[in-house]
Amino acid sequence: MTKAKPPKGLKGWAQGRSLWMLHFCTGCGAIEMPPTMTSRYDMERFGITPMATPRQADLLLITGYLTVKTLKRVIRSYEQMPEPKYVVGFGSCTVNGGMYWDSYNTIKRLDLYLPIDLYIAGCMPRPEAIIDGFTELIEGIKKGKFDGWIRYKENLEYYKRNQAMVMDIRKWSLDAELAERIWNEVQEERRKRFERATVKHVYELAERIPEGLPK
Amino acid sequence: MSLEKEQKVVDLIKVSFEDAEAEIQRERRVKVKVAPNRVFPLVAYLKGNGFKHFVAISAVDWIRDGEIELVYHLWNYDEKVHVMIKTRVPRDGGSMPTLKPLFNQAETYERDIHEFFGVHFEGNEKLDREFILEDWDGPPPMRKDFDTRLFSAEFYDQEDLESEALRLKIQPYKGHLKK
Amino acid sequence: MNAVGLNITWIIFMPILVIIIGLFYLGAARKITARIQNRYGPPIYQNIIDVIKLFSKKNPTNHGVMFSLGPVMAFSGMLISLLFIPIGNKALLSFNGDIIVLLYLLVIAPLGMALGVGEGGNPMGTIGIARALTLMLGYEVVLVISIISVILYTGSASFMEIIKMQSGGVGHWFIWPLFLSALAMDMALQGMLGEKPFDQPVAPHEVASGPMVEFGGKYLGLLQLYHAIGIVVETGIFVNLFLGGGTLFWWFVKSFAVFFVALLINAVMPRFRIGQAFAFFWTYPAAIGLIGLILVAILK
Repeated sequence: MTKAKPPKGLKGWAQGRSLWMLHFCTGCGAIEMPPTMTSRYDMERFGITPMATPRQADLLLITGYLTVKTLKRVIRSYEQMPEPKYVVGFGSCTVNGGMYWDSYNTIKRLDLYLPIDLYIAGCMPRPEAIIDGFTELIEGIKKGKFDGWIRYKENLEYYKRNQAMVMDIRKWSLDAELAERIWNEVQEERRKRFERATVKHVYELAERIPEGLPK
Repeated sequence: MSLEKEQKVVDLIKVSFEDAEAEIQRERRVKVKVAPNRVFPLVAYLKGNGFKHFVAISAVDWIRDGEIELVYHLWNYDEKVHVMIKTRVPRDGGSMPTLKPLFNQAETYERDIHEFFGVHFEGNEKLDREFILEDWDGPPPMRKDFDTRLFSAEFYDQEDLESEALRLKIQPYKGHLKK
Repeated sequence: MNAVGLNITWIIFMPILVIIIGLFYLGAARKITARIQNRYGPPIYQNIIDVIKLFSKKNPTNHGVMFSLGPVMAFSGMLISLLFIPIGNKALLSFNGDIIVLLYLLVIAPLGMALGVGEGGNPMGTIGIARALTLMLGYEVVLVISIISVILYTGSASFMEIIKMQSGGVGHWFIWPLFLSALAMDMALQGMLGEKPFDQPVAPHEVASGPMVEFGGKYLGLLQLYHAIGIVVETGIFVNLFLGGGTLFWWFVKSFAVFFVALLINAVMPRFRIGQAFAFFWTYPAAIGLIGLILVAILK
């Protein structure tokens, strides 16, 4: 079996110059996109156009924090995109959780669940930073540097296991058999984590409440 | 500023509900404390007396008392008076009758509070359906004794998985860094 | 013998030429729209890059045989209609009545799309194609009325005959005597091209690009080519009927001019609801077309 490789040459050039983007607008990153698309910064001059459905898209843009509930939809969208496909994480929320790092329902690092090709850091990144990130992406794609979807396929079990740790992947995965198996495997670990995170500490916390709180 | 209309609402409640502690909080705000089983008749009574808008149900976790306080907000458009009906149910196994027969929208607020505070609402048929939290096996997360930071650390840090990623050589692309 | 050889060369090169020029039309459309909106815009060859990229995509989703046949049917329906439309005073098939044949061929493409979309099973696609067929019902009436007035005026239903009658300079073009019919047909053309205010079928904000919602990769690439040919064919009908055809160069210049007018309207107009669009087609353009038809019938 030959190892899959990202496109180069004419294909790579065409792929780089014509990125159709599915912008999954969660969080405040969505508000930075309109200036980037409209007359001041005009993303379309690089051939980047917003697309309405994952079937037509090459680039999945995740613009902010992801709750577990949203992550399911993102993964489902990602798996429906035709190859080659690229993922760009946008803002500090996708890098390390950002201001949601201690939230009970928000993931911290997106690259544990999806193969990220490029991060654009900032809270939120300015349109200049976005354009800079996109130029890097285009140059990288032309040279065949980005291979996120290949990493995802080769390490599918690793990614699925991470996903299964935070959500029920059975209803949301294209490969139902694999999802079923991994879901059954992680149940034990998941239960342990729930116990560690909740039962043991519940009463300790109740003791820690300082005196003098209003009744 | 006189508090005439507020006093009128307080009197209205006092006439039929002697056990309710009604008081004027400030201009346009009336606070009522009642027992859980009296909430339904009180809301029904107020609905018949001009309080047509059911605003929301909110909840407060009084962990030291072992009780959860439910606050029902009602609004009268004609008089412009806001009534807060406060009642307390036990934290463990607390239960309230649903207000769905009076106001349809109460159903959604009750599902919300059931999911985040663990209060049971009798007669609400959609209570067991997932509302906001999907695949949630833990305790209701908005209770005071739920340690959100600890939960987040257990589930979303995943240090062992990061070391696994290093072993599998899954690395984010770093080629764009200028030398 | 020489003429046969020329015909064979033409039959091979003409579709390629039309596709490339159609893609340039689409690129120019994006550039011009961008300039109107005070943006820089993509390069004019952007749509050619898009098509190359779409055909190089791997494993696009396929829902079944009809799903893959749909775009093929749409594309080939448009390709066949190229046989009947004279480009640069040269039609491959020309006989009395080829306008009527062309009208039938233009319907094949949306029907092919409808079959493909039906198998795709996406509700957005179904809504989109339902809108496209409703819109077709609207503009076809106007289109047929204005074409009948041309046929009535000339007494011929052949493109080549009509072009021949218009030869001899700008003053002989049928746009002057048949001004009302030309106006009605230009309005219908806006709907045929799917430009605003009649872009309900593909409205990305409402129905997620409508019929194209399930198509990706090579299927979408084929649909792009279909769209590129469609623009040339649809503007070509107008050029041949009202602007007197012309040599290859001037034919494409006139065709682009017609497209340019549609584009300017597209750039500044919002979108109708589908009911409003349908009602519009059956009132103003239809009325203008009918008055034109009656005038032709009386004055002839």
